[in-house]
Amino acid sequence: MSVQRALRLILLFLVLIVLHFTLRPVLAWRAEADFLVLAVLLAAVRLRPGAAAALGFVVGILCDALVPVSFGAGAFTLAVIGFAASWLKAVFFSDNVLLHAFFFFAGKWVYDILFLILERQMGAGAMVTQLLVWSPLAAALTALTGLIVIMLFRNMLEGAPA
Amino acid sequence: MARAARASTRIDAALLVICTLLALLAIVLPAPARDAIAAGFQRTLSRPLLALQQRSERARAAFVEREGLTARIDSLSLQVTELQGLDAENARLRRLLAMSPRVGRGFVPAEALHGQVTGESHTVLVTVGSRAGVVPNSPVVAPDGVVGRVTSVSPTSSQVILWSHPDFRVSAMSADGGTFGIVTPHLKDGASCEGMDESSCAGPERLLLEMRGVAFRDVLKQGTLVVSSGLGGVFPKGMAIGTVIGELKTTEQWTRTYLVRPATRPQDLSNVLVLAPGLVREELPALWNNPNAAEVVMSTVIAAGDSITRQAAAALVDARRRADSVTAARDAATQAAKDSVAASLAADSIAAGGSAMTVAPSAQPPVIRPPRRDSTPRRP
Repeated sequence: MSVQRALRLILLFLVLIVLHFTLRPVLAWRAEADFLVLAVLLAAVRLRPGAAAALGFVVGILCDALVPVSFGAGAFTLAVIGFAASWLKAVFFSDNVLLHAFFFFAGKWVYDILFLILERQMGAGAMVTQLLVWSPLAAALTALTGLIVIMLFRNMLEGAPA
Repeated sequence: MARAARASTRIDAALLVICTLLALLAIVLPAPARDAIAAGFQRTLSRPLLALQQRSERARAAFVEREGLTARIDSLSLQVTELQGLDAENARLRRLLAMSPRVGRGFVPAEALHGQVTGESHTVLVTVGSRAGVVPNSPVVAPDGVVGRVTSVSPTSSQVILWSHPDFRVSAMSADGGTFGIVTPHLKDGASCEGMDESSCAGPERLLLEMRGVAFRDVLKQGTLVVSSGLGGVFPKGMAIGTVIGELKTTEQWTRTYLVRPATRPQDLSNVLVLAPGLVREELPALWNNPNAAEVVMSTVIAAGDSITRQAAAALVDARRRADSVTAARDAATQAAKDSVAASLAADSIAAGGSAMTVAPSAQPPVIRPPRRDSTPRRP
């Protein structure tokens, strides 16, 4: 990856992180797009699996610090998601729009599943509702947002090494 | 090449294992240690994220509160408007209150209800009737002066024609009693409205009065107070009617006509006094000539309030004193009962031939402890 392309990727990554902490609190929807997962996924497919896991861990631990009750859960989940995304990029990250969408959808849903299990803050009923109703909705919104991001920044992202 | 790839894979796997182990360690950390680490991150690396989130949530809270604040401002504005109305009503009632002692017992306070129809703009309905002693031709007054005259009476309400009604007449004189005349409403072009629709007689001129039939030799200056003379038999002497604005040019040769600004405004009427002609005093000159009346009444009300407060305080002190005396009597009775019990116990022990133990008369009775609530067996 060239330096210029790396800088663009870092910029996009930071923009998504900022959006996560500015747009989401303002919208405050029950099911909302997860810019954090999106940023990690988009960066992970351009990194080696180990680096993607480290990136996910760092981002997760920084975000977990804001909610100490679930401290570590986000870090674990994002590390796994980042590693898996980087490892599976050859399979999923093609130019097919539907595959992109599925990639983001699955990433967000798996993130929610792992996070809620590790967080251990919800009862069984609430967790099932969350995982079967709200998480898929949030994952769909995340996928939609991811597609919009890809379309907007196609020039910036295309040509990334496999 | 393959070895390098294998090494990279091992490094990736090692990184994943390290990251997941660290994350799991963070999850299972004790709460104090976890909170301390989180606080450290919040102060340093996570600080920008925290600031972003706080700012966004503050913006959202402000946006959400905006509608509530707007509604609150609206309701407060409405309350302020209502309070202004209450202020005006309060002032009117105070002025009425100031009048009542001077009118004597021959009055009935009432509310004036304005009709909604244009044709009834010169009449009002007052909320007292024959049950309250109102009779036809009773004068109706306000703190400012003459309002009108009762024309018809029902048990609970009365119809009143205002001074602007074409049929209204009042015998009048200047405040010094030197000039007499008849006060009538000032109709358009001096013509009578008889036989005409009342709305056609309406206009700015109808807000004024005329004092007719003033002797040609009598000249009234602008601002002269005109009051009722009591000669007509309806209105008692001394009721304020208005002030002279100027002389009107008419075709009459031996009399003068003056334009009079009424003391009261029909549209402002809300609280009035209906005078009972048989009970009201003969003259009411002091009714409208005492500017400090309202203050006098206020001081009277305040003094009455003070006396009520004093009475309440005295009653409270008296009640406390009684309660103290009852408590003292009860304590004394309790002490006497204790003494008698102790004395009888001592007498019983002596009579039983026991030891030579003496019991003081003031010895305390044995303390009776309540049973234990818990049923836990005590170890010996």
